[in-house]
Parts: sequence; C-alpha cells; structure tokens
Amino acid sequence: MTQRHVTIGAPAETAAHYEDLVNRHGSPLLVYDPAVVRQRYAELQRALPGVSLYYAVKALPSAHVIRTIDALGGGFDIASGGETELLLREDVFGRRTIHTHPIKKDAEIRSALRYGATTFVVDNDYELTKFVPYRSRVGILLRVSFRASGAAVDLSRKFGCAFDELPGLLDRAAALGIHVKGLSFHVGSQCADAAKHVEAIEQCAALMQARAETDPTPMSVLDIGGGFPAAYHRTGLDLEAWCAPVRAALGRVPDDWQCIAEPGRVLVAPAVTCVTTVVGTSRRDGVRWYYLDDGVYGSFSGQLFDHAVYPLQVLREGPVEPSILAGPTCDSIDIVAEQIALPELEPGDLVIGHEMGAYTAATRTRFNLLPDAQFISLEPA
Amino acid sequence: MADFEETLYDAVAQKFRIDKLYFENKTDHQHLMIFHNAALGRVMTLDGIVQTTEADEFVYHEMMAHVPLVAHGAPQHVLIIGGGDGGMLREVAKHAVESITQVEIDAAVVEMAKTYLPNHSAGAYDDPRLQLVIDDGFAFVRDDTRHYDVIIVDSTDPIGPGEVLFSEDFYAHAKTRLAPGGVVVTQNGVPFFQPDEVTTTHRRLARHFADATFYCAPVPTYYGGFMTFGWATDATELRGLAPAIIRDRVERAELNTRYYNADMHGAAFALPQYVRAAMQGE
Ligand SMILES: Cc1ncc(COP(=O)(O)O)c(C=O)c1O
Repeated sequence: MTQRHVTIGAPAETAAHYEDLVNRHGSPLLVYDPAVVRQRYAELQRALPGVSLYYAVKALPSAHVIRTIDALGGGFDIASGGETELLLREDVFGRRTIHTHPIKKDAEIRSALRYGATTFVVDNDYELTKFVPYRSRVGILLRVSFRASGAAVDLSRKFGCAFDELPGLLDRAAALGIHVKGLSFHVGSQCADAAKHVEAIEQCAALMQARAETDPTPMSVLDIGGGFPAAYHRTGLDLEAWCAPVRAALGRVPDDWQCIAEPGRVLVAPAVTCVTTVVGTSRRDGVRWYYLDDGVYGSFSGQLFDHAVYPLQVLREGPVEPSILAGPTCDSIDIVAEQIALPELEPGDLVIGHEMGAYTAATRTRFNLLPDAQFISLEPA
Repeated sequence: MADFEETLYDAVAQKFRIDKLYFENKTDHQHLMIFHNAALGRVMTLDGIVQTTEADEFVYHEMMAHVPLVAHGAPQHVLIIGGGDGGMLREVAKHAVESITQVEIDAAVVEMAKTYLPNHSAGAYDDPRLQLVIDDGFAFVRDDTRHYDVIIVDSTDPIGPGEVLFSEDFYAHAKTRLAPGGVVVTQNGVPFFQPDEVTTTHRRLARHFADATFYCAPVPTYYGGFMTFGWATDATELRGLAPAIIRDRVERAELNTRYYNADMHGAAFALPQYVRAAMQGE
C-alpha cells in the first residue's frame, strides 16, 4: 500500500483560514480554489503546446469547475447524459465537447447530438453499427487499448480494442459509411511516467500515416487521453518534465493533425481541499479512534474506487501515537486512515484532506443519507 | 456578441453572428434560441440547428403549403402537424379552405412565436377557420376520426423531438386520415448531407402510398443545396398535372408569393440524380 503523507500542525494563518471557513459554512467542506485549476491548466498547456485540452468532466462534475475551464477556453470530455445536461446548463457550446464513453445507449447518442457533440468514441464493431443512423453527422475516434503498468487506475481492460483489431474496424467503418477521424487511447489514470503514452502515440501515428496512403479519407485526430498524475505524495509535480517525452513524441506527428488530451485528475486534484471535523473519539485495544464527519462513503470515496491515498493534515501539534481516522457511517469499512501517527485530537478539531478534487465528490454515495460535504469556492461564482 | 455555430455535422458548420438575443430556453432537455442576424432577420434555432429565419422562411413555407394545396385543386380541410412558428398556417390561410386544423405539441412554442417571430404567423393565429390543438401529432393522427384533403408535416429533424413524425406508423396513421384524393407532405432534410433520410422515408412511404416521392427547393439556411419534401398520395395524377391547369389554379388563388409560382411547382418534382439514387437506397 502506498504510504500516506501526513502533516502535523499548521502555520497559524493556515489554521485560522480553515477554522474561519468552518465557522462560516459548517463541516464537512470541499473547498475549491479556481486559481489552482488555472495554474495547472496553464502548466499543462505549456508542457503540451498545440494540444487541445478537453477537461474530463467525470473527475469533478461541478458547475464551478466547468466555469473555470470555460473561461480558459478549454474543451470538455463528456461521458454521460448527466454531464451533457450540466454543460448545457452552464452554456458550454456543444462543439467544444467530445463524447468519450465507448459504450452508449441510443438515447445517449441522440441527446449528445442534440446538445451539439458530434465527436464520439467507439471501440468495437457492435458500437459502430449504433452510429449508422447518424453517420452523416458524426466523426468517430476509435479507442485502442494501451495499458500503463504503473497506472494507479487501469482503463484498458474494460475499454479499447486491441491494436491489431484496428485495420478491421477501420474497414468495417468505411463499409458502413461512418467516418473515423482518428484514434484515441487512455493508458490509465495517475500514471507514474509517460512511457506508455509515448508508445501509444508512436504506434497510433504510424498506423494513421500508413492508412492515409490508401484510405480515401485520412485520419487526422490523435487523442492521447488522460493519465497525468496528481501529487498525492506532496513532493511537488514537475508537469513539464513528466510531459517532455509526450511532447517529443507529438512533435514527430504531422503538423496538420489535431492532437487532443482529456486531462481530469491533474487539473482538479490539487484545487480542492477537504475539511472534516472530529465528532467523537474512543480508545480500542490501545489505539486512538477518531470519528470524522466525512469518510469513504463521502468525499473519501476515491480511496476505494480510485485507489487514491490522500495527504492528510491535522492542525494540532504534540506527541504522536498510533491512531485511526474513521468515517461517519455505521459500516466498518468506512475508515479514512489506519495506523497513522497523530497527536491527541479533541472533538471539534479539524482534519484536512489535500489533493481531493478528482474522483472524490464525483463518486460519493448516499449511504446512511448523510449530508454531502458542502462544496464552496474561494472565488465568487 | 457571440456567434451561433450549427452543430448538425461534425466536419462542416455554418456560423451566424448573434446581433441580439431575444429569447433563450434550456428547459425540457432542449435548447431553443431566437436571435437577430443582420443578413437573415430573426433566426430560430433548436438544439444547435437552424429551424427558420425571417429572410428565407418563405421558400420553405410557400413550397410546403402551396404545392399540395394547388395540386389537390379543391382542398376543404387541411391538417398541419407541428409548425408552431405559424409560417405554414399563414401560407395555408391564403387558400379558400373551409377548415385548418393545426396540431402543435407545445402551447409555449406558439406563444413564443407570436411574441418573438410575429412576422411568421402575421396574424394567422386569429383566423376563424383555425382549430389549434395542443397535442402530440402522432397521437392525434392515430386517434382522430376526421379526414383531410392535405396533411402538412412541418416537423423538426428526426434526431430532435420530431422523431416519431418520421416513423412508419405515423405515415400509416396519416394515410387513414386522408380524404380520397388527399396528399401528405413532409419535411425531409437536405439530401446532399443526409441522403439516408431520403432512403428511409421513401422506403416507409412507399409501403403505404401509391405515389411516394419527393420534391425540392433550396432553402439557403438549410445548408447543403436542395432540401426535400416528402410527397405521399394514392392520387397518382396529382404529381403530373398539366402546366396549364397549375397556371390557371395559381392565378385564381392570388397567392402573393415570393418563391412559389406555377413554373416552380412543376419544376420542383424534377429530382437530381443523387436524390433519385438515395430514393433507391444506393
Ligand atoms: C475516457 C477518459 N478520458 C479521460 C479520463 C480522465 O483521466 P485522468 O483523470 O487520468 O486525466 C478518464 C478517466 O477515467 C477517461 O475514462
């Protein structure tokens, strides 16, 4: 298991900031800082010049985030009718979106088309046939499976055709009169490095170029997916260095192609901080238990679904002892952190979770009908 | 101000400047806008697709109303399905018919059109011959018991809310609502970009009507050249009337049109080879 980063104590100013937020808004909170998204977006854009960024809405489907990305001129990667509705409500123009879920109901295709999305991702023959009725309107990306062994979240087992299936799918699409405009892949989320991205770019580009020699309608879109990491170890993130091999690989593809990426985690993870409160304590078998007002059925759901280990911080300092942080539900799986060394906390103390923007609130449940952590933005809407 | 860019096709798109936004509605999973454009007047869009503009609606409404009404010769009862903007009603009302029944699914569309597209209906909603029914067009043709000489299906595109109005069941029900000698016309898209619509509609209409074909007119803001109108009737003679007969009827009707005339009436049934090919499903 990945080691969790824990910070004991905080500068007075930082502690006052969190305490003030809880005094004003209550607890638990998810505190969103749009400035962080803007900074990450700019960093990623600098590291991948010429790549069009489509924010993966699934990472944090929040109107606040949509507005931040919208103001930056970014695009949006959508995967469901609910995400489509959210973008429609926020006045995002359909042409700035791509629909990337490889498996869709007909009703979803239709509602995405009505919304204005015309780019769709497909990874198998049956799914291709679903687009026959809409073939005059759409441009398809075929998704290929490339699996990064170092990714925390695998996205190439459930989705993506094998590379050697591509020629057959391309021929099939041509026979059905469906335009395939390019290839896409998603090598996995939270990748340790970009080696798999580079391999995927090189193989896809070679195939696209080879097919362009013979196919009447050349492919021109290369979608490199997501996978850019968050700094859960709090060691900082050198996006520039992480992306350098990707940049180099993309530098070798033809200039007239459109290269796009679907970053989710990297843009929003650092932009949200979770603030929880110790509600009760006990001592069992010599270990301190602290019961928080948010847990793995809530904002910390990513610890189960996304395999993330969020950096935690307590504001109080003092001699540490083995402790357990438990969530508020009645289920015993609802443990935020075990075996962590903490100073003695008191009810009312705050426990802060960092890097908690991606796949946190997005995957929380309704269990016990506990209220959701309130989402607040540090900037007025 | 912002631009409106159509989202009908992935690879090409037409773009309109929004000079003034009059109305926008994003409820019921749809996105409706009415805005002003210097070249086109008021423009109504639904779900990223141009529905009608003040500058060129005359081509569409005149051709969809006058071609079947003049071809019929003595229409008494007319049924309009859809057409909430009122443009079709305005053109139908130019004829000496006894009754006009219009079935619109959404009362709000009619009210909105009266307010923001007043030139489309131009007062026709006050016509005493009109019976306006707020109902689903499919349910209406299925359940109604009256008969009509001309049925005009002024629908949105088949991916939008008007989907059922392109179904074979709808055409079958519509046929049962036709009086002897009656004709159904339908909005059928731009075949240069959407040949499948011609193929599908032709196949469905041909199963129910002795004469199932299309006629054409270019509506500039329905980008892509000719649009097609479905033509379905058992009265096979209606399509090939002698030019003199058409001319005589048009003169007597005093229609005051900008696109439609006797020559255009006859010429509209001439189909480009690519449309004929699409009809055969090639
Ligand atoms: C198709 C697709 N695109 C983009 C993303 C976002 O990935 P990441 O958060 O790793 O950037 C995901 C994540 O599940 C995905 O499935």
